[in-house]
Amino acid sequence: MTENRAVTTLESDSIDDAVAELGDDGLSGYNFAYLDEHTKREVRRAILKGIAIPGHQVPYASRPMPLARGWGTGGIQASLSLLGPDDSFKVIDQGADESVNAANIRRLADRTAGVETTSDTTDADVIQTRHRIPEEVMTDDQILVLQVPVTDPLRKVDGSDAANRRRHAHKNYGRMWVHLYENVVEWGEIKIASRYPTMVAGRYLMDPSPIPRWDVPKLDDADTLFLFAAGREARIYAVPPHTEVEPLAFEDESFQVERFPDQSCDACGSTDTFLTEVETDDGRRLYSCNDTSFCAKRQDDPAIPKDHHLDASGVDWGPGTPNEGSETPDSEDGVAGEPAAESGGDER
Amino acid sequence: MGYVAVTASEDVIERAEDLFEKQRVDGEETQISVSQTDEQFGRIVGQTMSEGGLFAPRLAALAVKQAQGDTAEAGFLLRAYRSTLERWDESVPADPSEMCASRRVSPAYKDVPGGQILGATKDYTQRLLDFDLLADDGADPTESWDLDPEDPEQLRNVVSVLREEGLLHDPEDDRGDSPEEPVDTTREPVTMPAERSAVLQELARGETGAVTALGYSSLRGYGQVHPTLGEVRTGDLPVQIEHPYTGEAATVAHAEVTECEAVVPVFAKRDDPQFAFGYGLCFGRNERKAIGMSILDAGIQLDGEEPAESAEFVLDVVDGIDSFGFIEHLKLPHYVTFQSTLDRIRSIRQRKMNSGTADAADSEIAEASADD
Repeated sequence: MTENRAVTTLESDSIDDAVAELGDDGLSGYNFAYLDEHTKREVRRAILKGIAIPGHQVPYASRPMPLARGWGTGGIQASLSLLGPDDSFKVIDQGADESVNAANIRRLADRTAGVETTSDTTDADVIQTRHRIPEEVMTDDQILVLQVPVTDPLRKVDGSDAANRRRHAHKNYGRMWVHLYENVVEWGEIKIASRYPTMVAGRYLMDPSPIPRWDVPKLDDADTLFLFAAGREARIYAVPPHTEVEPLAFEDESFQVERFPDQSCDACGSTDTFLTEVETDDGRRLYSCNDTSFCAKRQDDPAIPKDHHLDASGVDWGPGTPNEGSETPDSEDGVAGEPAAESGGDER
Repeated sequence: MGYVAVTASEDVIERAEDLFEKQRVDGEETQISVSQTDEQFGRIVGQTMSEGGLFAPRLAALAVKQAQGDTAEAGFLLRAYRSTLERWDESVPADPSEMCASRRVSPAYKDVPGGQILGATKDYTQRLLDFDLLADDGADPTESWDLDPEDPEQLRNVVSVLREEGLLHDPEDDRGDSPEEPVDTTREPVTMPAERSAVLQELARGETGAVTALGYSSLRGYGQVHPTLGEVRTGDLPVQIEHPYTGEAATVAHAEVTECEAVVPVFAKRDDPQFAFGYGLCFGRNERKAIGMSILDAGIQLDGEEPAESAEFVLDVVDGIDSFGFIEHLKLPHYVTFQSTLDRIRSIRQRKMNSGTADAADSEIAEASADD
């Protein structure tokens, strides 16, 4: 499965015979990690350019993949271009390793690259994710590849990428600021849920992919390389380690993450993780950790912090959840004006 | 953790695949073969090749069989396969006048050099279900025809008449200093403004229904392009490559294509009124796609305000593999983003309710909730 496709000279008279002859090696065989080496090099070049210009969308010739466009084809192209035979690969979809689409992407990497796959965040060299950043703090040995459906944050205010490219070139983000201001005037607060517009290194406005606002502060000054890859829209961009990443907000209208004021995970009891709610058959509403692999660890050891695997402690990332149970739903205590990495509240 | 919306192991995916395959083989009848598909469902095979961007009738027929007749899925299978192939060589640019046309109609003129060739078409048939096909397979109705077995002729291109008279605007004149070599959008990303060669390639790989609908939008009044067709023709186009030793062009294959050339009178924006030119070409017998493509090519050159005249809009939506993938991705779990949205909606509702009370009572709650 992993050897390069050889050039075959055909002795046959007819195309049918030729196809039949090829059946044994050529047609059923694919290059290591599916993509040909030229394509992988092109993707890596786009990645390098993206790293050199943090937050800037680099066009690349996205290849059709054996997965439907919109189902992680950009992410898998980036992952397959980076993975080597000795690497360990983790795939999560909406926080879960067991999700069908995550399983399918993992299966493709397993089939075509034969890499080791894992569900443990701390074991993986490359993690491909759809719409979450893991709860456990990632290190400078790891790369997080985020799948991107919509590459440009300005698409919210103008559908034309040609016009938006000019805005990025001129750092002209006035329309987005007006949009946010109109939100505040009309609704009293910014109503953007996920895909929160985020300024990278003070230069490019970036769509951080549909991660919840909860995860946006993790991008700031992290040890890890974040790659954002879109297959359908054929763009790659990056947030290199230790880059300043700041969600757009006003001085008097700060950035807010999702609030879980009274909730804790039904399975592990966590109050400092991103929860999602489920309605049970008997009409109850339960909350549970969205990051299933970390939740499993917490079920074994509820006290385990998000940086349990690091030498240093207190390098927590992401917001902590107020767990006093006293906040009203519109309280401001869910605000994460500053990334919690600096507050180091790992006891929460 | 029993309530996570969609969790499944790889076994479950494989079982779902198996159930899909079961639907293909579950009937009482013998399975349809790839050759039967190729021979008897030529239109679907042609559409698949055209949208898949690969001329390979047998592989396309295999894709149609495997996809149980879903053209979007079949085109997708073909494209994914295509992306793993090495590109050995580039063909010599084909001259459509070398096409061995089996059908050619020219709506622009009553008679044209080479004549009108109706060829195989259902255009003028009454659309009545042929119940005889229920009982038997039908026979070749042309069996008793007394035909000259000579090759189909190569026909003179109709719009070349207009071109010689200088009535036809040549889109190549607008190229400016853009490079001679056509862009290959499968190897280079499309950025706006796009080269015409990139526009044509994307349209030629476009989804048939999307090309038809967008072309129709222009005719329907959302645009200015109501063309006269110089000609529509179908036939086999020789594919030639340069011989590696002699350097001479050698024909290595024939591709069945449908071609359309359209002219659109344009008086505005030009010092000298001329016909604008729209071109359509796609694999297989697919006249509506070729015609739709020629309308879109002409419209995009006008660069107007209407959807079908904007290269960016048309190219963004015309690709079936892109649109089908993204439309269907909505089936994937979205509970993270949905949780995030729930948070926003609840927060804003709460605020509205609070301020509603506040307005009525003019109480201190107003100050509290306005304090943001």
